[in-house]
Amino acid sequence: MTDNVKYLSQQWRDEAERRLKAELPPERMNFVTSSMSNIYQNCPDGKDRYLYFKFVDGKFEEMRIGEGESPKPEFAVSGDYETFAKITRGELGAQKALMTMKLKLKGNMVKALRLASLADRLNKVLATIPTEY
Amino acid sequence: MTNPSNDPYFIDFPKRIKNIQARMAKDNIDVYLGSRLRTLSWTTDAFFPWRSFIVIPPEGLPTAFTFVIDAARAADDSWLDEDHVFGFAPMGGQDQIEQIADFIKEILPAGKGRVGIESGMSNYLPEGWLTHYEYEQYAAALSGCELVNAHTIIDRLALIKDQGTINRFKEASRIVDVGHQAVLDAIKNGGWKGMTETEIAGIAALAMRRAGSEWEWSFTGGNEIASGYRTGYAGGACTPASRREIQAGEPLMVDIHATFKLGLGDHSHNYLIGPATDRQRWHADNFVSIVKKTLETYRAGITPSLLAEQMMDFSEAGGFADYMVPGYEHGIGMLGDEWRIGLNDGPFPFWTNPDHVYQENEVLICAMQYACPDENIGFRYENPIQLFKDHCEEMSKFPLAIEEIR
Repeated sequence: MTDNVKYLSQQWRDEAERRLKAELPPERMNFVTSSMSNIYQNCPDGKDRYLYFKFVDGKFEEMRIGEGESPKPEFAVSGDYETFAKITRGELGAQKALMTMKLKLKGNMVKALRLASLADRLNKVLATIPTEY
Repeated sequence: MTNPSNDPYFIDFPKRIKNIQARMAKDNIDVYLGSRLRTLSWTTDAFFPWRSFIVIPPEGLPTAFTFVIDAARAADDSWLDEDHVFGFAPMGGQDQIEQIADFIKEILPAGKGRVGIESGMSNYLPEGWLTHYEYEQYAAALSGCELVNAHTIIDRLALIKDQGTINRFKEASRIVDVGHQAVLDAIKNGGWKGMTETEIAGIAALAMRRAGSEWEWSFTGGNEIASGYRTGYAGGACTPASRREIQAGEPLMVDIHATFKLGLGDHSHNYLIGPATDRQRWHADNFVSIVKKTLETYRAGITPSLLAEQMMDFSEAGGFADYMVPGYEHGIGMLGDEWRIGLNDGPFPFWTNPDHVYQENEVLICAMQYACPDENIGFRYENPIQLFKDHCEEMSKFPLAIEEIR
């Protein structure tokens, strides 16, 4: 696939799922069971969206994109659409975004710290998708 | 929660939480936001050295919040699991105000209700009352809530000690006795020559740590060692060890502290480094006599003021009232609870009520100080005591005496 897909579109979701399943087998995900949502506020069309992931024993089990309220995740990261876009484009580090309050994390941070490297792996895979923001 | 292993140090923490929740219901408190170190110790069974909070819902388990660098360790030490010990840090949504306020709002219907907080003052620096800034921030973040002072809920429940707590104090006191024996072994037969107060503090610390103590817990510098004129500060009863070298012909005060499962050992023993003068011996005998008298007098039913009057009469009759610091106790509880006796119901807010009537199974530190600054001599006694109907039991068993060390 070489054509750019629109960020957070159904096509982008499908491509994300394909790449995550291919590149992050359970052992790369440390056989973790968890769920997280990215909450995108102020999307270009003015709406809020979410991207929900669920892993069971490291297996990528569910990925949903939707409008409005996300399914309840173990961790939720919320921020402006543009902030997430900058992170995905590699223009802003996720940690810096958290430390400057551009992103907010909800959930048990002690557990989140243990999963930080996994989230990083996941974001790196998503960043490889040719995307139009 | 039962005690299937018959652990002598077992404390039924879930029962403590249920007792708090029952009292919250009576006082119309929807959520309790504890911030004092004593509250954290009493509810979690873990040591929280960083700024920490505990949120107690109307029913179910509480959740503790602490600096993220220590949250995993605290959860490991606590009876609470990792889902009930959260870390906070300067990150979006994870600072202590937003994280805890959001957590409380999720507990409260429509985010509204009465939140019990801990507001007051103390002589004890690490007490952990909610600061003015924190109060303002929580009040703003919990705009639908009424913040009400509720610390008495914990204070009342923690007053009478359960058997597990008492056993922890006894073990901490046994460890303190190991420390005292190590100091005596080190200083006797001329061993004291060339030693400094800090070295003696370290000798005690090493022995107590070897015996299982987790910490020389006192915020007054850990083990308090004083020699010579430093034993006799006017009205003084606080001597962090200095680099002063021990000298012949001087008093030596060894006030050491051990911790066992948040139970606290605190015993002070005194020596005269020989050769002692008759006058020094007279002071020493005075002090031993009043310690014995005080221990004979402590029991349920007596009050701090009544005991002080009797002891001052005793010292007046003995001709040494001028040297007695007129106080014979300080409060004690699980780590972080080290000041006031009883509840905050005395004439001076947050000081011991002189008319507090002691009850059976209260534990306090029998504490007294003898100070004669003009003669560079003083002595201190401290020992956790458990009160019974007609007597008290001192927990540290190191023999009461002021030995002359050669």
